[in-house]
Amino acid sequence: MIIEIGHFSVVIALVLSVFGIVSSGLALRTRDADWVRAGRMALTLIFILLSVGMAALIYSFLARDFSVHYVATTSNSQLPLFYTIAAVWGGHEGSLLLWVFILSAFSTIAVWLHWRTQPAIMPYLIGMECLVILGFLLLILFLSSPFDRLIPAPPDGKDLNPLLQDPAMVMHPPMLYMGYVGFSIPFSFAMAALLSGRLGEEWIKVTQRWTIFAWVCLTTGILLGGYWAYYELGWGGYWGWDPVENASFMPWLVGTAFLHSVMVQEKRKMFKVWNLFLIIVTFSLSLIGTFLVRSGVLTSVHTFATDPERGLYILIFVTMIIGIAFGSLMLRANKLKSQIEMDSMVSRESVFLFNNLFFLVAAATVFLGTLYPLMIETWQGAKVTVGPPYYNAVFMPTALGLLFLMGVGPYIPWRKASRASLQKNFLIPVVVGVLATVVLFALGIRSFFALTGAFVVGFSGAAIFIDVGKISSLYARRESINLLKGFLSAFTSNQRRYSGLVTHVGVLVLVIGIIASTVYQTEKVVSLRVGDEFVIDDYRVKLERIHDVRGKNWSAQEGVFEVYEGDTLLTKLRPQKRVYDASQTPTTESAIYAKNMGHIFLTMPDVSADGVAVARGVINPLILWVWGGGGIMGLGVLLNIFRPRKRDE
Amino acid sequence: MTRTTQITILVVLLALLSLFYQGLWGDPRHIPPVLVDTRAPVFEGPNVESGEPLSSEQYKGKVIVVNFWASWCQECKVEHENLLRLYDEFKDHPEFVMLGINYQDEIPKARAYLQRYGSSFPHMQDVKGALAIDFGVYGVPETFVIDKQGIIRHKWIGPIVDNVYTNLTKNVLTPLLQRADTRSLRSGQAT
Amino acid sequence: MFRFSPILILLCLVSSTDGLAKVVDETEIDQKVREIAKTLRCTVCQTENIWESGAPLAHQMRDAIRERVVQGQSTEEIRAYFHSRYGDYIMMEPPKQGINWLIWLAPFLLLFGGGVLLWREVKGWVTRTPEPQPPPTLDETSRRRIERELHQDRWE
Repeated sequence: MIIEIGHFSVVIALVLSVFGIVSSGLALRTRDADWVRAGRMALTLIFILLSVGMAALIYSFLARDFSVHYVATTSNSQLPLFYTIAAVWGGHEGSLLLWVFILSAFSTIAVWLHWRTQPAIMPYLIGMECLVILGFLLLILFLSSPFDRLIPAPPDGKDLNPLLQDPAMVMHPPMLYMGYVGFSIPFSFAMAALLSGRLGEEWIKVTQRWTIFAWVCLTTGILLGGYWAYYELGWGGYWGWDPVENASFMPWLVGTAFLHSVMVQEKRKMFKVWNLFLIIVTFSLSLIGTFLVRSGVLTSVHTFATDPERGLYILIFVTMIIGIAFGSLMLRANKLKSQIEMDSMVSRESVFLFNNLFFLVAAATVFLGTLYPLMIETWQGAKVTVGPPYYNAVFMPTALGLLFLMGVGPYIPWRKASRASLQKNFLIPVVVGVLATVVLFALGIRSFFALTGAFVVGFSGAAIFIDVGKISSLYARRESINLLKGFLSAFTSNQRRYSGLVTHVGVLVLVIGIIASTVYQTEKVVSLRVGDEFVIDDYRVKLERIHDVRGKNWSAQEGVFEVYEGDTLLTKLRPQKRVYDASQTPTTESAIYAKNMGHIFLTMPDVSADGVAVARGVINPLILWVWGGGGIMGLGVLLNIFRPRKRDE
Repeated sequence: MTRTTQITILVVLLALLSLFYQGLWGDPRHIPPVLVDTRAPVFEGPNVESGEPLSSEQYKGKVIVVNFWASWCQECKVEHENLLRLYDEFKDHPEFVMLGINYQDEIPKARAYLQRYGSSFPHMQDVKGALAIDFGVYGVPETFVIDKQGIIRHKWIGPIVDNVYTNLTKNVLTPLLQRADTRSLRSGQAT
Repeated sequence: MFRFSPILILLCLVSSTDGLAKVVDETEIDQKVREIAKTLRCTVCQTENIWESGAPLAHQMRDAIRERVVQGQSTEEIRAYFHSRYGDYIMMEPPKQGINWLIWLAPFLLLFGGGVLLWREVKGWVTRTPEPQPPPTLDETSRRRIERELHQDRWE
């Protein structure tokens, strides 16, 4: 009964989304504010109804109602409660519902939040959001309903894929979708700006916080996915350039370009078309990602079950949205000829342009790599693989270029940089960068990637450090306070700029982590019996015993490994070889010990009948910097979002 | 925005659209066999049931149907009846032989499987799966047809269901068996 | 040359009774197998190499690599063998030949081409932008006042 209530609510929401589109159309035609108000009411009701739908689905999972087809396929009576929540969005149908639910929540918030200040935008915003909601609701109700019954009900459900039974998987999809969907708000504002002809800087200023919020959600989602892959897939890596990962990375890259490029328009009122183009591409890539992941055109570790009919529908829908967006851009673009004034090649404006170029080339690289197998198959009927070696080779130059620009950008003034200011700002950073490279070289490091990385990181880091140091001491002197208070004072005086720099520092930390843990990873695989030991890096790892353990819905063989450094026992690691009851799927559970910001990572992929275990040890130096860097990036964004409002905003 | 930019965007979007549209109808699991029209690997191993040695040497100059299967494979059960039918249809032809290759299996289980579902043609063990890799096998079941010159002429991934059976017998096997055993025949393609 | 001491004998005894537990290590063969396995794709998995994959076929392929390494085949020979059985699909990256150059060079061409285009465009904008007007000359009092205020607030 409960699930039917949910189903019914979603049907009503579908009707209301049509109403929302019609009422915004009428609002634009009649200029009658009542129609806009009706649209707002419709959108709010859609949000409430989808909450009911979502709640009904969650309830069915918690009640273990296996007469619901979706519940029966993605959960099991023995599935722990926590993972039962993850199971709600662990399959195609439920995750789509989550997508559209978040979309309705965000658009409702946006409408109420900007109702007073942006009355002219409202009809467009409501109409656009309702259109996207309608598209997804049609897909959910007609081609992938999570509300269908399964009669007769099976005694127990199949299980949630054991790989997804993981804490990170509870948060990863919602964060990712909040990122995708978050970009729909600036997208709708941009469309409103285009269609209404209000092509000033207004829409950019209004949506600045939305953009950055969407960006941080997407970033967190991607990092959570990486973290999950790291300890759950058991090979000690966190990024596999898998099509699904790429699908989330592409909107991130273009979204980041957009995030930077809007600053030029805010300050200098230039590149209006360009910014519209970027946000349209960002949101389009979010939608194309959905298509790629759910249509079966690409196969991937994470791909949801697929069928061509569903894919065809998504393709038509995505094409329609993208068509509307690019169509309006092309029709209106000529009205947008903004006067471009560039005083010098060496200016903040031009650095931002090159930043955009690099981000777009990076996105195009990922796009091409992801689609290349499909192209070859379609045109030549052959199959190729585009795997990590390709991306690592072609992506790195672009990434290092971006990092370099990141160090340069904030210290080049708007309009024109003088030779003197360049020298003043960059002499020391260049020296530090060179020094970092030389030191690493002297330490015996020969990897080209690590050495170039050292220069770029040293350069950018020094530039930021000098800037913060100077401004802090200036404030400290002026207000006769200590350096730390001076720093805080300087920070709050221009919080937007300095929170941005915090994010940049996070990126540097992340990059150091990535370089160290990929270039200097040590790996060893040995076969050993109880009592045997092996040496990896500076550690001795001894297999103390192997025993059976039992969890709520799995049983496992667990190896107890003592890890020594010299003669000191650091820890006992307990990797497992699990078999889940319901699906009889085997998994390898890794065991991790953190040391010196790195990880000792251990898995036990195999135990033979006569007691010989295969152990796989991986030392990932500085891997904590990857997650730590991500945390600092997030902190920077939070400081940006919650900065005190300035007069001119 | 110049006309050129507009046209570029339009062309890119349309190209993507057509690519995605075509991609929808492709089978993601279909992989083009690279071994067709190349010389078949040599093989030898014990007979699953009798333990006697079997090898490619004894089949020289004949048309061979090689079928990879395993007792744990569900789809193999689907095609088993058709395999027996295939052997029955052609077994009287002097130049026809058929060989099952038991892939990554345990001998007792494989024997039990053959006892239960029937066995007419010989089956060879490939316990370690090395031969399967030689044949570029992805999984079971897979079926190969090797001509009299020892060249692989056909490969089928998946079970031999009825329409596959018809195609296999009519369009592949019959012409190959009818063809005279002339060494010169298309042997130039062998590599 | 050696004088037998009781302690030495004891040590020998201890080590011999403890002989069951040993230190195990990778051999050169293990390392080479890994090196090769990481460059080949597990054909039944998605974009995973046969080293990282847990699939049975990947397991057999690792065994097949090991067998060939033990026979003394070179990395290239082994990769070529797998390529001859499974085609380009088994390589973790598209072979650098024919149409595949498109994908290998595209990122660099885009970066280079885009860079040149952007550079020229920006240059054009710069030349079209009129030189900023020289500031109007000031009388002495205004100049002093501005300087004073600038000095007060130069950090902002």
